[in-house]
Amino acid sequence: MEDYKFLFKVVLVGNAGVGKTCLVRRFTQGLFPPGQGATIGVDFMIKTVEVDGEKVKLQIWDTAGQERFRSITQSYYRSAHALILVYDISCQPTFDCLPDWLREIEEYANNKVLRILVGNKTDREDREIPRHIGEDFAQRHGMYFLETSAKEAENVERLFMEIAVELMEQAKCKELPKYDGSLGPINGKTTSVGDSSCCLR
Amino acid sequence: MSPMRKIIHRACFVVSRTVYMTCCCGCCSALRPHYKRLVDNIFPANPQDELVKSNMEKLTYYSLTSPEKLDRIGEYLFQKASRDIYRRRHGFVIIAMEAMDQLLVACHSQTLNLFVESFLKMVQKLLESTDPQLQILATQSFVRFANIEEDTPSYHRRYDFFVSKFSAMCHSNHADTVTRDKIRLAGIQGLQGVIRKTVSDDLVENIWEAQHMDKIVPSLLYNMQTAEKYETVSCMEGGGGAEPPARLAEACLRELVGRASFGHIRSVLRPVLTHFDRHELWIPNDFAVHTFMIIMFSIQAQYSYSVVEALMQHLDAAGGHSADPRARTRVRAARATVLSNIVAIAAGDSVGPSVLEIINNLLTNLRSSVARDSEQKETDEKLYQEALINALKEFADHLPDFQKIDIMMFIVNKVPSIQRGNKGTKADAMLQSILLKSLLKVGTTYRTVELSKAFPAAFLEALLRAGGAGEAHARALLQRILHTLLDRRDNAPRLLRASVEYAELGLTVEKCSRQDLIFISKHGYALFSSLYEGLQLESNTMENVEAIYTTLALICIELGSEETVCDILQLILAIQQSGLTNPVLSVAQQCQLQAISISLAALIPHVMMLPRLGEYIHKIIAARREEAPHLLPPLREDYDDLHPSKMPSKLPYLMMDLMALCELLKAAGIEVGRLSASSPYAAGSAAAPHRHSWVEAGAAAGRDSLAELAAPTTELDSANSSPGLQRAGGAGEAVSLEALRRAAGGPSPAERRDAERRRATLNNAFRTAPFDQLLHITQPKYEIKDKLEEIFNSITEEPLLPASGSCSPAGQKSYQQNVPPYTKYFPELFLY
Ligand SMILES: Nc1nc2c(ncn2[C@@H]2O[C@H](COP(=O)(O)OP(=O)(O)OP(=O)(O)O)[C@@H](O)[C@H]2O)c(=O)[nH]1
Ligand SMILES: [Mg+2]
Repeated sequence: MEDYKFLFKVVLVGNAGVGKTCLVRRFTQGLFPPGQGATIGVDFMIKTVEVDGEKVKLQIWDTAGQERFRSITQSYYRSAHALILVYDISCQPTFDCLPDWLREIEEYANNKVLRILVGNKTDREDREIPRHIGEDFAQRHGMYFLETSAKEAENVERLFMEIAVELMEQAKCKELPKYDGSLGPINGKTTSVGDSSCCLR
Repeated sequence: MSPMRKIIHRACFVVSRTVYMTCCCGCCSALRPHYKRLVDNIFPANPQDELVKSNMEKLTYYSLTSPEKLDRIGEYLFQKASRDIYRRRHGFVIIAMEAMDQLLVACHSQTLNLFVESFLKMVQKLLESTDPQLQILATQSFVRFANIEEDTPSYHRRYDFFVSKFSAMCHSNHADTVTRDKIRLAGIQGLQGVIRKTVSDDLVENIWEAQHMDKIVPSLLYNMQTAEKYETVSCMEGGGGAEPPARLAEACLRELVGRASFGHIRSVLRPVLTHFDRHELWIPNDFAVHTFMIIMFSIQAQYSYSVVEALMQHLDAAGGHSADPRARTRVRAARATVLSNIVAIAAGDSVGPSVLEIINNLLTNLRSSVARDSEQKETDEKLYQEALINALKEFADHLPDFQKIDIMMFIVNKVPSIQRGNKGTKADAMLQSILLKSLLKVGTTYRTVELSKAFPAAFLEALLRAGGAGEAHARALLQRILHTLLDRRDNAPRLLRASVEYAELGLTVEKCSRQDLIFISKHGYALFSSLYEGLQLESNTMENVEAIYTTLALICIELGSEETVCDILQLILAIQQSGLTNPVLSVAQQCQLQAISISLAALIPHVMMLPRLGEYIHKIIAARREEAPHLLPPLREDYDDLHPSKMPSKLPYLMMDLMALCELLKAAGIEVGRLSASSPYAAGSAAAPHRHSWVEAGAAAGRDSLAELAAPTTELDSANSSPGLQRAGGAGEAVSLEALRRAAGGPSPAERRDAERRRATLNNAFRTAPFDQLLHITQPKYEIKDKLEEIFNSITEEPLLPASGSCSPAGQKSYQQNVPPYTKYFPELFLY
């Protein structure tokens, strides 16, 4: 039933193959898809979660990492409340590209967007990026940080739940217009959700 | 409905709402409001079964009679469907959607607005599901809604979710390709629906905003680019049935582009260009050509110029992600080729300023290409230049003739002038040759009818000036431009090689017109002396000599007549003479000049009835054939094995003789006074007096207003024309022309005297001064070219080069006060 209080848009970005789609499917469908093909353009998923007894609907836009789709994927940044930037902890190049991604985010996303850095595939033995390197990077750029494994379902739920909690807090403390059933979600202009630069946890 | 029932109704509603909130089990159905029961009844017991038709009719009837209930019905249907989606009872979801569709169509009333909110929530709900069937169903409902005209559309309604979701669907990657195509097709249909719904009313949602266009345009292109092959048709006929995504995407793009007003075109084009860059679709460029043709065909004609402009500005843009400069050049060339494919479509709709802007932009791109690679080592860069030149040609090809001349003027004035002796930079030389190539390309699209129209004085002057300078190859190019403009009867291909056997060439010769005679009387001397000088250059290759031969042969054919024959023969004799006496010429060049002068002489009897002249020439030819075949065509690169006794200067008896020619012409009844008079051509002299005055006229133009300029020019012109010809020039059109010029302000007696004196001094100087000094004097007082450059730059800023007609004599007064630079510098253009 359409009884949620908040609607947040979450966009995942990051190099091809880092596991964005797997993270989303793990979260929304509770599975780790075998042989997940590369995303074309943009994919869309929805999940409603409960925070403090209130329903929060997450609209998740999973973008393609391949360069050629950059033009269309960038157009989805703008309305995002939260941007999840994913890299693969077992693949140095995906980490090296982070500054490029930040530049894109800077250019196309709302400057108040909540930004989360995610190092995925912690289950892998061949780690190349130590945890603290990722953490440092996130700290320097005012981002949240989390390491996950879509495969082992590690921290995936937590990732999205923390986003929901944070966005809801921001929405509440800024007293931004909440989702109001009578107007319908389509008219909900994307409200910028407060300042996210502070409070690293 | 009776008032009583209404009250009960309300009461029921209140109760049921509370009940519903606490236990949505439907246990108190007796208390449920009427509309809910009606809604419940349309659902069959089994989700596999269909909508209960009779009950649906009841619901519809109820909605029509109680429209104020419509929003509650909508909300209730939505709630039910949400629950059913959650429980995966898709059969019921489909039925709920179907019911909403029917209500939407049936209930055209002011209350529709509220119902639409529930309807769209329902559509969104279905689109959010992962089930392709529901997504497709929702899209169909949305499209149906999009086709309904709402009386008062809701201005707070936003469509970004739909644009986002439909765009995502356009990129579906569903494992099953049939399903994938269905989802993509639905996505495109959905986008088409959003466009139709919003495009006519900016208040609803500005669909042209970047956030929307950046999703819609790439989604359409992505579906188009997967098509097997691209056949562009100028318009699509509405083919029904199951269309492949590519076809529908194309139709949708056409519709979008067709609806774009001027302010919106850029927002469509920008994502198109980005998409081609990102997906590296420039090479091979068939898809790019296809797409841009589609855009050109569907855009409102008056805006087609913007497409050309956008593509031109994008030529140099860093595209894709390849940093390799060679790859960049290839992309650039591919873009230019696309440009050359569409520019013709724009030409038909372009007017004044846009025409010159396009040309100027193409030239600027050529210039920067040359700057990048003046060594011409890069074949890719060369391909790029070729593509740009082709675009120029394609564009010019579709312009009216008078604009072609404007364009040629424009180009010729961009040609960097390279002074004889001073070679200029390599880049200059390169640019010169590239611009001349462009000029040639444009020239080939022009169909000359009247020579005076093809060669406005300023244009002719600029051409001849360019012809005297630069590298040998560039000079030959310039002759080729003259060929294409002079040759009205397609004789040029037959006259590329010098020959004395004209009978078998199948030349087309017609009597030349009055206008042509006026033209040659005005400009003949300048033309002839420039060609003559062109033959005196040490650096001439055989190509140069032969190219000038072709020009002269074409002049003979196009302008040969009793009035002109003396001048032509005089020139031929002068060429013959220079081939004997000009010390800078090599033996080969001397022989070549002999060969072309006899060839030209042999052509004259083919143009005019002068049989005895023909006999005379052929006697000489026969004698040369015996004794000195090297003085006859075909021309050779070298004549190294020539015995000293066979040097042209050693064979005076094999030369054409002035006195003999005079006699022959006299016998044919032609006035030969001018031929027998002393030749104005001085062998080895780089500049004839007339040429100088020509330059002078240009220089004067740099200083003076049109009024002051006109008269002295005329004076000098006519003074230098031979008297006989002046008679011809005085008749007919020339009178009105003269009158026009005088209307622009006659010369004061003082000015007249001034001009007279200048001319006298000059003539004197040429008779007495040594060659070097003459050369020095004849250098223009300052760089005309620089001045022209300045003017043309100012033209590009100052948008419009007005059509020649706009400066009528009636408007003369006003434009003397406020003379735009181009009328000042090219007065002839505006007087015609
Ligand atoms: N070991 C391990 N492999 C993973 C994990 N997440 C994803 N993968 C694998 O990584 C590959 C790419 O995963 P995707 O989810 O398709 O990556 P993506 O970021 O969506 O890629 P694009 O859609 O191309 O941008 C797949 O083969 C997954 O099986 C993980 O947590 N652990
Ligand atoms: Mg993916």
